[in-house]
Amino acid sequence: MFPTEEQHALREMARDLFAAASPPKRLRALWDGEDRGRDVWKRLADAGLTGLTVPQEHGGGGGGFREVVLVLGEAGYAALPEPLLETVAVGVPLLTEIARLAEETPGGAWAHGWLERIAAGDAIVTVQLGGAPYVVDADVADLLLTEIEGSLFALTDFGAEPVVTEDRARRLFDAHAIVDSRSAVTHRPAILEPARDRGAVGTAALQTGIARRLLDTTVEYARTRQQFGQPIGAFQAVQHQLADVHVALTAAGGAVWHAAGAIDDDGPDRAHAAAVAKAAANDAASLANRVALQLHGGIGFTWEHDLHLWLKRGLALQQAYGSAREHRRRIAADLFDEESR
Amino acid sequence: MDPPLTSAHVAFRDEARAWLADHVPDLPPPGSPEAFEQHVSWERELHEAGFQALHWPEEYGGRGADVVTQAIFEEEYVRADGPDRVTVLGTNLLAPTLFAHGTDAQRQRWLPDILAARTIWSQGFSEPDAGSDLASLRTRAERDGDDLVVNGQKIWTSYGAYADWIFALVRTSNFSAPRADSTPDGPTKHAGITFVAIDLRSDGVEVRPIIQLDGHAGFSEVFFTDVRVPIDQVIGEIDDGWPVAMTTLAAERDAPAAPPARYERDLRDLIDIARAVGLDTDDVVRDRIAGLHVRVECYRHQAAATVATLAAGGSLGDGASVTKLLWSELERDLYAFGLELLGAHGEVLDDRAPLRDVAGWHSRYWYARAATIYAGTSEIQRNILARRVLALPKA
Ligand SMILES: Cc1cc2nc3c(=O)[nH]c(=O)nc-3n(C[C@H](O)[C@H](O)[C@H](O)COP(=O)(O)OP(=O)(O)OC[C@H]3O[C@@H](n4cnc5c(N)ncnc54)[C@H](O)[C@@H]3O)c2cc1C
Repeated sequence: MFPTEEQHALREMARDLFAAASPPKRLRALWDGEDRGRDVWKRLADAGLTGLTVPQEHGGGGGGFREVVLVLGEAGYAALPEPLLETVAVGVPLLTEIARLAEETPGGAWAHGWLERIAAGDAIVTVQLGGAPYVVDADVADLLLTEIEGSLFALTDFGAEPVVTEDRARRLFDAHAIVDSRSAVTHRPAILEPARDRGAVGTAALQTGIARRLLDTTVEYARTRQQFGQPIGAFQAVQHQLADVHVALTAAGGAVWHAAGAIDDDGPDRAHAAAVAKAAANDAASLANRVALQLHGGIGFTWEHDLHLWLKRGLALQQAYGSAREHRRRIAADLFDEESR
Repeated sequence: MDPPLTSAHVAFRDEARAWLADHVPDLPPPGSPEAFEQHVSWERELHEAGFQALHWPEEYGGRGADVVTQAIFEEEYVRADGPDRVTVLGTNLLAPTLFAHGTDAQRQRWLPDILAARTIWSQGFSEPDAGSDLASLRTRAERDGDDLVVNGQKIWTSYGAYADWIFALVRTSNFSAPRADSTPDGPTKHAGITFVAIDLRSDGVEVRPIIQLDGHAGFSEVFFTDVRVPIDQVIGEIDDGWPVAMTTLAAERDAPAAPPARYERDLRDLIDIARAVGLDTDDVVRDRIAGLHVRVECYRHQAAATVATLAAGGSLGDGASVTKLLWSELERDLYAFGLELLGAHGEVLDDRAPLRDVAGWHSRYWYARAATIYAGTSEIQRNILARRVLALPKA
């Protein structure tokens, strides 16, 4: 139910590491076009984070999805620009599944090698599922797992064409422009659906982290910014907006944690729980976004202030792995077609 | 229930489910003396079957069950369409307060009757001029020998018209506490309050019923004129009743008080309404119902987390305000959307309206409108979160 002691420690470790390894200064350098390099990725690997979900026999930590959402929550909190979600939350479980199916698919043995390289920090994975038009971080990825008409392809040799994005630290590439030498690694659509759910829940975790950062920053600001002879945080109109963000975030956090459990247990409500988590996190994150900028007033609207780094990351993730509307559509189908299930 | 259930939990659930399926009566709302009596009989039956207050220790007649078992029962009770329980103020609010602050003698004296639905309790916190600002209450009690002599008035007392006892907050000192001290947590106002149990049959007590806007009776105001209350009916210390009252309020805002199964049931009704009016394929309607479902799910997880916290021996503290906001605002929005879906039928209370129990829906709609007021208004919950959880400054 609650995070265990170890999970707690993992989260603390991730928080400290992300804050130290990727401060806003670095985000801004990336915004200015700086190359990401592999330094930070290496530090994540040394801390066991890139191999978090890699099975122990392949050199990883063998962690489950509960661990993933805790770490991604902190990645969101730091607006970490590395593709942890793609590699750890989606890529590794896909590769593990491919390896498990090794007898039937020629790619099996090959997947082991990738898992080991990921755990060691020598390989970055990105993914493109469900016909997403853009691929994140294709420039730094060594492996692209891409879904084409229900089959999964693994590409190592692909050219990527960057697109201009609002959040310049989250780099996107035109999926259609990817040139490849494709060979399907699996034709089993059954492994793709859970992968999409992992993407949605992982994104929801990132969003709750971003929203928590926005809330903390804004609470801090409201305690110090004085107007009319008192801190603005003493005004009830300000307090109530922040309380609402706290409530929405608590609610979304519960949904994300539940969905992570459903993924770990491969429960029958996995897909449904994932849709609920993404919809709830989207709503909480958009409320946090709106309130944070509003309560920062003019200063929050400047380029110099760091706030917009989180505002924009939050905005970007609203669409990733399905918008709230798309997830609610799926939920409605579950609800209204219940009898036929 | 989300927490992993033991085989004992599963066995209990099956037992409760089977019993409820055979026994749950169809009762009118407890808004008349006759209906109230029917509710009381039903709850006696519930007690005889051993289902009242399962989580109480065995020495007080409970089953000594864990909070998970209690939560399972509440879920099953809703699923079986069990009627609202008129003993809740005793079982859910006073009892935890007595366990935390009462004396052994007080527990022995009151708890068995609460459990057996022999005495019905009401809650006397609010006054005409002290609602949200509870600590500014003015009902006063003066010491006279072994008695407290109580004078003043309580209001909005649920079930007050039919109850036997009331647990009330009275001012025992600081009579001239500066009313100007209006800060929510100023020390002066909170000192000098006493938590006391009063027999409503005592001389000098007058109960005047108040009809609720939905037509229900049972609500009341309670007047005290020189009412003598033996000192051994004080719960906690004289002048130090505030922490005692906080225990009661925390219990009131708790998740188990609002079983998530209720909202799951209501959402199914909402889906039925959508079907009945032919809007089940309307994209906007589906989107909004899915949105409400997301909130029901989030609340279910919050309730499960609450149960787990309590089961681990923890308490929610100010976090209970999150729970209270979630359930009260969810129910408000859920029923309102049902009326919106009913369209032109939304005004109609008879069975011309295409809904199994349209009067029941309206009734729940109105009671939900009170949910954001009773047990501390939404505004007060937000104040608590802002000040005590987010640590925002005082004005
Ligand atoms: C159905 C029902 C059952 C009830 N049962 C009981 C019962 O059994 N026993 C009992 O003791 N009481 C009971 N109550 C009373 C209930 O607890 C009070 O109504 C409630 O605490 C609000 O107090 P009030 O009505 O005096 O409103 P007020 O305190 O006058 O508030 C009016 C409005 O002002 C807002 N407000 C007040 N102070 C602030 C502030 N500091 N910041 C922002 N907004 C503020 C409130 O949120 C509200 O919207 C019941 C009420 C209802 C509706």
